[in-house]
Amino acid sequence: MIPKPFLNAVVAMAVSKVTVVISQGQGRNPVRRQLEEDIATALLTEPGVDVSLVPHLYDMSHDHTGLLFLRSVPGNLVVLSWLYDRATRWTLDRAGVRGHEGLSLLKSAEEDAEDDEDELASKNRNGIGSVNVPNRRVYAIDLRCSVSADDFIREVRRIAGENTVQTVELMSWIGGTPKPEQLQRYLQPERMLEARRAFDSGNATLEDKAVLPEDTGRRWYPVIDYSRCTNCMECIDFCLFGVYGVDALDRILVEQQDSCKKGCPACSRVCPENAIIFPQHKTPAIAGAQGEVGGLKIDLSKLFGGDSGESAIDMAVKERDRELILDGREAVGTSIGIKQKVRDEIDQLIADLDALEF
Amino acid sequence: MSEPLFFMMGLYQAVIPDDRQYSRRHLWLQECGPGRYRVGFTAYSVRLLQDVYFLEWSIDPETIVRDQQEIGEIESAKAVSSMFPPCAGKVVSFNPQLLNDPSGINAQNYGSGWLYEFEPAANLLSAAEYVEFLNSAWEDAQRTIKGQVNES
Repeated sequence: MIPKPFLNAVVAMAVSKVTVVISQGQGRNPVRRQLEEDIATALLTEPGVDVSLVPHLYDMSHDHTGLLFLRSVPGNLVVLSWLYDRATRWTLDRAGVRGHEGLSLLKSAEEDAEDDEDELASKNRNGIGSVNVPNRRVYAIDLRCSVSADDFIREVRRIAGENTVQTVELMSWIGGTPKPEQLQRYLQPERMLEARRAFDSGNATLEDKAVLPEDTGRRWYPVIDYSRCTNCMECIDFCLFGVYGVDALDRILVEQQDSCKKGCPACSRVCPENAIIFPQHKTPAIAGAQGEVGGLKIDLSKLFGGDSGESAIDMAVKERDRELILDGREAVGTSIGIKQKVRDEIDQLIADLDALEF
Repeated sequence: MSEPLFFMMGLYQAVIPDDRQYSRRHLWLQECGPGRYRVGFTAYSVRLLQDVYFLEWSIDPETIVRDQQEIGEIESAKAVSSMFPPCAGKVVSFNPQLLNDPSGINAQNYGSGWLYEFEPAANLLSAAEYVEFLNSAWEDAQRTIKGQVNES
């Protein structure tokens, strides 16, 4: 018979494991694939760490096995993805994978440490926050932070060290064990990597294909950062495509995400708190980099030769009209859904101009 | 090389070297071969941009461009902007050094931080003419920047 203290230790160990999930890049960029593989391979032998790969986080549908797997992970979670960490965090929240925000020391490239502190200290702490947040930490790390797998492995080690002491109540909410059969593939990262290599070289067998997750297509929808969102409802008033709705608690939510118009980030520009993220937009601020959307950064296009020099609202109205017309509907210009949020924006811009110190 | 010229942006002194030509798009052009010029940001542009951290070209090398055609995007700590050529012409090649790390624009805007090689199809400004243009346009430029406030 196994002595009880020993059993307890085993249980504690199992629970205090950190699960690292790598959200794979879209497409088959070999450089990205290699970094994912290097990190996964190194973590396979790392004590206290479980590692898995899932398809690109943003592209998985609500019932994709990769998301089911993520939801089933008990305890502290580290998600590495090709997205800004804010985008990762709130895409996970949207998918029902929640936890307290774990702070990673690896920051997305654009996040200037100084700006970060300013931002944390001065604003955006009046959001309505997430709900049903279990007592554990979720760390989001941007894979674009470094080209070296070692940097990520070091950070995972640091996080694992930070989380060796585990709270007991974690046991109370584990929902995912035993795992359904369809999730088994996520527990065999070595096999999945092997299948992926075979797939990339065009030699995948039927067995390989069975190990790989279901295909995902590229998607486009807004992700709400509830640490910033004040539930002001400007987005629901502005969007004329029925993307937004409210939940039973009257909190704004992205209800019909696939009604969203591919490429259109207009609601993000209209949001007074810059709480709406389009993780795949080319402008970093809209894609979830710390910082602000169009309105706050000075647009120099007019000085550098363009003739646009538009405000964020002008752009949003134009983008919305374009989608309305493509839908066979009438353009509405500024007649619908533009409120007096302009005041705030002006204050912000003036503050920003002062910071330019001419 | 003769004495460089200056332009005062408030308290900041933007250096405008006399050994090259300029465009009203706040770019310098320096001849590097027959009919071919290296193009870069002037000190005036760099001051407005401050720390550049993102630069992306939306056209291929050897592309003929018209005036005001968008050829890329830039983002810095303080600003975003589309990129435009100095005038109509041909963009021959891009500075490979900046493709991975655009910070060279801040470090050496008149030197190794050049943007691309270009064959202009229009007349260029001398340093003195560019400074004159800056003087005449400064009021307007400030209004353009701050005008983004009033427009919305």
